[in-house]
Amino acid sequence: MKIDAEKCVGCGKCASYCTMRGSIMSFGRNPKNPAKIYAVIDEKECVECCVCLRSGVCQQEALYQPELSWPRIVRKNFSDPLKIHPETRIPGRGTEEMKTNEVTGRFKRGFYGAALEMGRPGVGAWFRDVEKAAMALASLGVAFEENNPVTKLMTDRKTGQINPEVLEEKVLSAIIEFLIPQEKLPTLLEALKKIAEKIDTVFSGDIISRVEKDGSISYLKVFQEGSRFLSITGKSNVGLGRPKYRED
Amino acid sequence: MTHTLHRRGDRENLSGDYIVFTMSAKGFNEEGSAEKMKKFLKILLKYHPVNFGDMITGNCYVKSAEEIWHNINTTSIIHAVFTDEVTVSKILRELRARDLGLSVVVTGIHETTEECCQEAGLQKHTVEHSMGIFGDLNRLPEEAVLQLSTMCGHAMVPANLVLRMVKEIKKEKKSFQDAALELTKPCHCGIYNPARAEKLLRRLVPLMTYDS
Repeated sequence: MKIDAEKCVGCGKCASYCTMRGSIMSFGRNPKNPAKIYAVIDEKECVECCVCLRSGVCQQEALYQPELSWPRIVRKNFSDPLKIHPETRIPGRGTEEMKTNEVTGRFKRGFYGAALEMGRPGVGAWFRDVEKAAMALASLGVAFEENNPVTKLMTDRKTGQINPEVLEEKVLSAIIEFLIPQEKLPTLLEALKKIAEKIDTVFSGDIISRVEKDGSISYLKVFQEGSRFLSITGKSNVGLGRPKYRED
Repeated sequence: MTHTLHRRGDRENLSGDYIVFTMSAKGFNEEGSAEKMKKFLKILLKYHPVNFGDMITGNCYVKSAEEIWHNINTTSIIHAVFTDEVTVSKILRELRARDLGLSVVVTGIHETTEECCQEAGLQKHTVEHSMGIFGDLNRLPEEAVLQLSTMCGHAMVPANLVLRMVKEIKKEKKSFQDAALELTKPCHCGIYNPARAEKLLRRLVPLMTYDS
């Protein structure tokens, strides 16, 4: 995002609509008219989410989105949920994951789906940190989700390496989605602690499972035994989609 | 995509926070899904959601209901927010009876949504929990601010805006209700809960100070 220095009056109201916590703005002074100040966005920190522009907060219409080229366009692809990823054909940053699982069969019994959303909530993440997490997960032998935008940026899915051209791009969040066999869950939970120590941001973790035939959720026991946090809220697919995926 | 998953709060304030939504499964049941999603939205609107929207168009505080309904297409994701489990049970019962053939997801306290499903004669198929936040937690705002900002899973409601609303309420420039609606607008999908936001602001504002 950029600010037209000629139009901007330096009121700073747009800063409230910046999704990067604190301020990524500074003020400049017009050399021809020193009484006139204007806001300047730190382009290195801006994730191109468009919240400031869409809010309509700038009455001077000084905010504008310039044409974005590769690799900067990656920022918008991952930060602005209105942008439909060409890979997933859905708006947002991830996939349909469990939302359509009774139809797609993406998550089967015996496996858990999991995801690390790098930069969430509201901190943002550089792709260099996304790569650190992806490489740590790859070393566990996870199966990265084929249709996920982060997976599409990997140059080597066996190692989790990401296209070096995007490593210095910052996004509001990026979701690494993968499958693990049920028995590997304790190993994954230990790995999350190590990933957390290596990165300069935050991530939110989630876990997905088919409900067992007796109505139970098998991973609950693992979290209870390890006295680990698990939210009381969450998502439930209630199985109304058709055609139903037939599990062998 | 986990846009409704990581809402933060305690049992008391999360007990008034439920989202029901649908989308098509690409490559499986896309054909005819737009019309089904229009029917889905009509059903949900009968139950007076506190917010609703479609990722394609926006939420009902920014766009008209007619525009949201008219723009629904096969890539839409239709959401509506409710504040009590009795309504959620009724919605699930009606959706089961109408049998639209599209996937339906309900977000809320798992124990409660389990009861809603049982009352509607449904069994959960797949579930998802948040494992919490990891990493450099010093970068996060206060928990009270997070409870307001995380109601938009795409992080379109900035912590900066929450703090500005607190300031404007304190200065008596905005009412609690108006501030809650201001926070609701940037969340494009329509999953932000303005009723819960107002309650959270009433709890948060007296606890916060600002440098004038």
